[in-house]
Amino acid sequence: MYQFTIRLVVIITIIASPNTFSHSDNPHNIPEGKSKADFLEQCVEATDIMRKKHFNFLYHQRDKTVIKGIRTKKHSLANCVDCHVAHNQQGEPIPVNSEGQFCQVCHIKTATNIDCFSCHATVPRDRMSKNILKDNLNKASDLQNKTDKLLYYYQITLNEK
Amino acid sequence: MKNKHTISRRNFLVKSITALSAIYVVPDIFSNVSAAKPPNIEVSSKTRWGMSIDVDKCVDGCTSCIDACADENGLYGFDRPETDSQWIRKLTLKDIKTEKITVLPMLCQHCENPPCCDVCPTGASFRREDGIVMVNQHTCIGCRYCMMACPFKARSFVHENLTKQLTNSPRGKGCVESCNFCANKIDNGSDSTACEEACMKEGHNAISFGDLNNPKSRVNIAISKKPNRRLRADLKLKQTVTYSGF
Ligand code: HEC
Ligand code: HEC
Ligand code: HEC
Repeated sequence: MYQFTIRLVVIITIIASPNTFSHSDNPHNIPEGKSKADFLEQCVEATDIMRKKHFNFLYHQRDKTVIKGIRTKKHSLANCVDCHVAHNQQGEPIPVNSEGQFCQVCHIKTATNIDCFSCHATVPRDRMSKNILKDNLNKASDLQNKTDKLLYYYQITLNEK
Repeated sequence: MKNKHTISRRNFLVKSITALSAIYVVPDIFSNVSAAKPPNIEVSSKTRWGMSIDVDKCVDGCTSCIDACADENGLYGFDRPETDSQWIRKLTLKDIKTEKITVLPMLCQHCENPPCCDVCPTGASFRREDGIVMVNQHTCIGCRYCMMACPFKARSFVHENLTKQLTNSPRGKGCVESCNFCANKIDNGSDSTACEEACMKEGHNAISFGDLNNPKSRVNIAISKKPNRRLRADLKLKQTVTYSGF
């Protein structure tokens, strides 16, 4: 009986854990105008250090990630966006760099211009969000012309020798 | 007096051979364990990613690898096929002598001697320790020398402002980009690329990816089954993407 109880507890814990322990990305838990960060005490480093040095961490992390393949979350830009992005009434994230949003307000005050968000996603967006690619025109069928143009080029090059 | 520590000639040989074989065999066993890398460890030359493409198995008209790549990396175009980004494409080859037509997927060949890196003025094109050739978009100035240097036309340039990038695949105007063997997936422990997965899912199994240093990886198994060759081997670029069946 004791064994059985233990097993039951273990099984229940395992089944229940995805809902209780993980950082679920459900935006509907977050009220309008709020971000995950609004419910937390501290940033990834002490907040006053972040205020002064967040760009140093980011610059460091980007070389670590791109050159060395280190993908830790702590100083990752993707993670900043995930935690700091605010949500609108529908529970959808508002781009972090849009007017009045987290990565924009201070920079306006200090006349800082960052280009990061011309490439980096301004809201958490993973490949599962189907709507992004609904207007994906980069499908193979459209690119057949491109292939044909290269035909000639490769005829020559690939058959030498 | 006889020295108790002397070992016979026979003993000496046996022991040294055992020790030597341990040196040679043990690392092999370890490297077989797994190529999967935890996200906090930096990449090293112990792994060397590569791909083998069996052209016989690649089905004419199938575009699942291309579509999977577009989905994985959020590549969307502007209905301008001449300039839209493409990391993998289907290429039609015609043998001039036999007139035989071959269709094969063409992507960055991840050369060991990459001409793109040779010509890059800022060092933005580089070969990562684990053999992946990629663009560091933070230092890329968009000069496109690499695109001209590449004999496979594997690279694309982003000409327009983009807005709906995926979190895992930042990309933007003014930079060159190309296949990076799904570096983000791999760094997080995967040993497969989006195109390989898609090709397997279709049941075609034309693409085999894996660690070339691991004899049991899918790519090495594919290479051992069928002779592979490099495109334009005369250029001596030592690509890690190889082709079989044509
Ligand atoms: C897990 C959630 C989380 C992540 C991830 C995170 N932060 Fe924070 N951040 C916070 C919280 C919570 C605060 C506010 C603390 C407070 O009010 O004292 C904060 C505060 C800040 C502040 C100071 C804001 C102010 O008004 O003074 C800056 C700047 C900042 N974060 C930047 C970043 C950057 C850059 C990153 C990515 C490297 C990042 N944060 C990642 C939770 C997070
Ligand atoms: C031209 C496009 C581009 C611009 C502009 C850009 N990045 Fe990146 N960034 C990339 C690419 C591409 C990667 C590599 C992503 C990968 O391999 O997963 C990357 C990766 C990163 C990473 C590691 C991944 C992560 O999310 O933590 C950080 C940190 C980063 N960039 C910070 C920055 C910062 C800060 C700026 C602005 C000063 C910036 N980037 C501007 C394209 C860009
Ligand atoms: C507390 C206000 C504040 C917030 C919030 C804030 N920043 Fe900053 N940021 C600054 C200031 C001030 C500077 C300029 C520092 C300097 O130039 O010395 C700066 C500079 C930067 C730089 C370096 C720019 C350069 O020219 O080198 C980057 C990159 C950056 N911030 C990214 C971010 C990102 C990403 C976020 C959102 C996660 C963010 N910042 C949120 C205040 C802030």
